[in-house]
Amino acid sequence: MAGLQGAVETAPVSRLHEMQSFDPADFPVPRGREEEWRFTPLRRLRGLHTDEPPGDGKVSVDVAAAAPGVTIEKVEHGDPRLGTAYVPADRVSARAFSSFREATLISVPADFESATPTHVAVRGESPDGAAFGHTVIDVQPHARAVVVLDHTGSATYADNVELIIGDGASLVVVSLQGWADDTVHLAHHHARLGRDARLTHTAVTLGGSVVRLAPSVRYAGPGGDAELRGLYFADAGQHMEHRLFVDHAERNCRSRVSYKGALQGNGAHSVWIGDVIIRPEATGTDTYEYNRNLVLTDDTRVDSVPNLEILTGEVAGAGHASASGRLEDQHLFYLMARGIPLDEARKLVIRGFFGELIGQMEVPELQDRVRAAVEAELA
Amino acid sequence: MTGATQFRRACALADVPEEGAIGVEVAGVPVAVVRADGELFALHDVCSHEEVPLSEGEIYDHTVECWLHGSCFDLRTGKPTGPPATKPVATYPVKVDGDDVYVALPD
Repeated sequence: MAGLQGAVETAPVSRLHEMQSFDPADFPVPRGREEEWRFTPLRRLRGLHTDEPPGDGKVSVDVAAAAPGVTIEKVEHGDPRLGTAYVPADRVSARAFSSFREATLISVPADFESATPTHVAVRGESPDGAAFGHTVIDVQPHARAVVVLDHTGSATYADNVELIIGDGASLVVVSLQGWADDTVHLAHHHARLGRDARLTHTAVTLGGSVVRLAPSVRYAGPGGDAELRGLYFADAGQHMEHRLFVDHAERNCRSRVSYKGALQGNGAHSVWIGDVIIRPEATGTDTYEYNRNLVLTDDTRVDSVPNLEILTGEVAGAGHASASGRLEDQHLFYLMARGIPLDEARKLVIRGFFGELIGQMEVPELQDRVRAAVEAELA
Repeated sequence: MTGATQFRRACALADVPEEGAIGVEVAGVPVAVVRADGELFALHDVCSHEEVPLSEGEIYDHTVECWLHGSCFDLRTGKPTGPPATKPVATYPVKVDGDDVYVALPD
């Protein structure tokens, strides 16, 4: 831009996602007023954001590979394949990276194709003591793979998941947060998409005391396509936070973010942050993100903040939307006028609300499981 | 408040400003101990709107003001006198024993 002196100055890009480091000490301990922490109940994190508690928690990670081609390795700190795509973006994430005992490395060889999911069972045994994890899913060029991250049990857990998707490759990730009610889980899922690569990431958060999941996408070549979907159901006292970030720094990439949630019960709290940056070089970008929340009872709280920063005029499309509200009276009236009792009418509308996202899930057996879990929430 | 309560030490009486508040933690619960017109009050130390310690706010007219958005909470009832907060914060019984301040939290 040296030749354009005197032209209108472009405002600096948001600094929110600038700070990155592997060293937790580079991040001050959050106090609660920081933009990236202001919605999170810090006092319920059991010290994960400080240096407490000691990392002696018990969380096991077991992987069942989909097919002989997929390799599973457990590796230690210092392995050169760790931290290649992702540099921690906050203190908890940096602490997870510096403190994990064992990382799980899932590699899918080039040109491999399988629709059978590789199942990663992350199970917490106890909420006492913190546990830390790291997972790398490396899908090499032109391969296609499906990975399910299945979180259950009781834990105080912080982890990072690196998703490396090679040129022309395709990865479907479903992350199920089916934790017990005493679990605190903070996670970053960061994807790096190669040229013409495709990612579908679905977060299903139904359990846990505090769950804060931050899926983010960065494109390493043109033509990348990222679908980020989410479904959550917050009950009394549950805090469910999803912080999306899509960084368009390459031309002709596409991104879609679709998150839907429902809340019921005293103190149920959901947070959705949808950040998209379209950098000056990212011409031809096509992005849209939305968040919808159904508020089913009084005394819940929804925070929904979409942010879109566009630094080029040459976009194919860019938009965002957010709406939170209670069940539509007219919908209920329509059903009740046809003899359907209120209770059943409510369930029908809520089923319909989530049905769209559930129907899009690429893993059919999970569709049934999520449908049943939503049904259990409504019971 | 329901259930039996037990008084726990919150701070030294001398720690509480003549006209103002101090934030303490009692059995893991954040409590704002406030002195206004020579009288002591104790409230839950988190604004019911966002996660802000009320003890960092100013005291006037028998209310404590949340410094972030300006909701004031009545020291006796915990009720907000204006938006954006709409819900009350919990209030706790206070007593002074010797040089110390004690508050009773619900079990």
